[in-house]
Amino acid sequence: MKNQMRISKLRMVQRSSIVRVLIALAVVGAGVAALNADVMKIELPPETASFKPGPEGGIANAQCLTCHSVEYVQTQPPMPLAFWSAEVKKMRDKYAAPIPEDQMDQLAHYLAENYGTGAGGQPAAAPAVTDTTAQPASVQALATRYGCLSCHGVNVKIVGPAFHDVAVKYHNDPDAYQKIAAQVHGGGSGKWGSVLMPPFPMVTDAQTKMLADWILSQAGPAK
Amino acid sequence: MANEIKHSRILSRRNFLRTAIITGVGGAFSSHLISALADDVITLPFANGERRLAKFPQKRPLILQTSRPPQLETPFSVFNESILTPNDAFFVRYHLSQIPTSIDPDAFRLNIKGDVKSPLSLSLTDLKTKFEATELVAVNQCSGNSRGFSQPRVAGGQSGNGAMGNARWKGVKLKDVLEKAGVGSSVKQVTFQGLDRPPLEKTPVFVKALDIDHALDGEVMVAYEMNGADLPMLNGYPLRLIVPGYYGTYWVKHVTDVTLVDDVLANFWMSTAYRIPDNGCACVEPGAPAGKTKPIERFNVRSFITSLADGAKISAGKEISVRGIAFDGGYGITSVRFSTDGGKTWREAALGENLGKYSFREWTCRFTPRKAGDYVLQVCATNRIGQSQPSSPLWNPAGYMRNVIESVRVTAA
Repeated sequence: MKNQMRISKLRMVQRSSIVRVLIALAVVGAGVAALNADVMKIELPPETASFKPGPEGGIANAQCLTCHSVEYVQTQPPMPLAFWSAEVKKMRDKYAAPIPEDQMDQLAHYLAENYGTGAGGQPAAAPAVTDTTAQPASVQALATRYGCLSCHGVNVKIVGPAFHDVAVKYHNDPDAYQKIAAQVHGGGSGKWGSVLMPPFPMVTDAQTKMLADWILSQAGPAK
Repeated sequence: MANEIKHSRILSRRNFLRTAIITGVGGAFSSHLISALADDVITLPFANGERRLAKFPQKRPLILQTSRPPQLETPFSVFNESILTPNDAFFVRYHLSQIPTSIDPDAFRLNIKGDVKSPLSLSLTDLKTKFEATELVAVNQCSGNSRGFSQPRVAGGQSGNGAMGNARWKGVKLKDVLEKAGVGSSVKQVTFQGLDRPPLEKTPVFVKALDIDHALDGEVMVAYEMNGADLPMLNGYPLRLIVPGYYGTYWVKHVTDVTLVDDVLANFWMSTAYRIPDNGCACVEPGAPAGKTKPIERFNVRSFITSLADGAKISAGKEISVRGIAFDGGYGITSVRFSTDGGKTWREAALGENLGKYSFREWTCRFTPRKAGDYVLQVCATNRIGQSQPSSPLWNPAGYMRNVIESVRVTAA
């Protein structure tokens, strides 16, 4: 009993000195705090996971991660192809995901194979993205094929930074090309916020060069 | 019965890993390495139920359903800690990924507009000083709470039973605010929008609606405090709509725009999503389409055992007090029955303090397992108008409104 009392007294002493320190800190910090008195700010933890690799994983990374993190798929119950086809259709028709018609089937098959009970066969549509070496007619077509423009506006931030802002950050950097190429191929989060950019390893070096040149050319005043 | 495991059984991997590491290599590893290795994982008791526990701002580690936008579930053991769910453990559910992460409360405004005599733009100070404050304890529950238990399984957030929470909300009656603006004579509904936005221009913005009579009932409120503190950002700081007894889909977070309209809102979030079969049970044959639907509304009756988790070991011949919670859509819980033989026989549990008809209601019941062996404990609540819980689960295609009688299996030795 006596011991307990002693302990609780000791705790009280410790606590009151903590309070004193806190008060002192508050007084010292008051000037700084007054600048933006009560602005409530949070920092979300960085996203780290993307879709399982593979050519169709690239479609999933480009199309699904624009709007939501990968757990939206990972946590679904083990379900057959029909379930995943319905989900892909719902995302396009109800939530306006800009999934090209020729990727719908491939995406559903990829999801059923990797996150469901299996697709039981090949997608009906011919693979559109697997021929990654073909050089498209324009850089816009390339950016559309890989879904770049779903997340990055040229002049506005959508999910990722505007290409204009990327260009402003890197246009005087001698390593700009390497940095952009590393980001395209490896993805990552933390440079522009907590949202993850998925990796796009299937983008060829020639295509990456084309994209990087175009992105870096956007450094002029925002239109 | 074997499949009827209704209670979130939580297996913490951290303790296992800690123990393994400490006993295996002594003090050779730094604590940093231990925590890096020991990513907490729990397993919700349905297929593909493994989830990480993740730390988000202003929150203790919660069950990570999704990270963008955040959907965090409360570990079920929290409901045995207190009748009011602590703010740092309260579940989080957003729909659209562009959520606010920085809000200046001095600049924040609640705008009352549309068919009103004089539109208002109210600061938080206005709300706190020009209107009478009101307080209410109310449960917020996600429409899809417990969806992971649906059989057959359905698409959507795969929650265990922890997408719910009970808090004391303080704020202003919506009625007072609307009447100050002056409600137009042909107003049918009031719509609500907060600061969250879709990532794509064409994704439907999150706007919900209540009928004008409901909005003026004197219970719906805009809350600036939760359990005596500012709302956590992820629960709607600095102002959230409170719709007592109604599913969380109506509890718009960071609410800024209240618009009085002369028609019925028919957007995606009212006309397509959050709809239930338009019949008495909100259910159809498992696997069947929903048929005719209507917007989801009030909670049905639910009750849980919180003091014993599924698989718990108890002592034969020793009396224990079993405890739990019950709630409904606002008629008030009048009776909770408890069974120790899988629902063959029932007895009345004692009800705890009444914090209001929208709150969790604590219940307790004494139980002495006479013999060693397995016991299936069940709990079933009834509300003031006689609504109760079904003995087998009701099903609908969206996985909403699960309220089957819960079972917890324990072993006495």
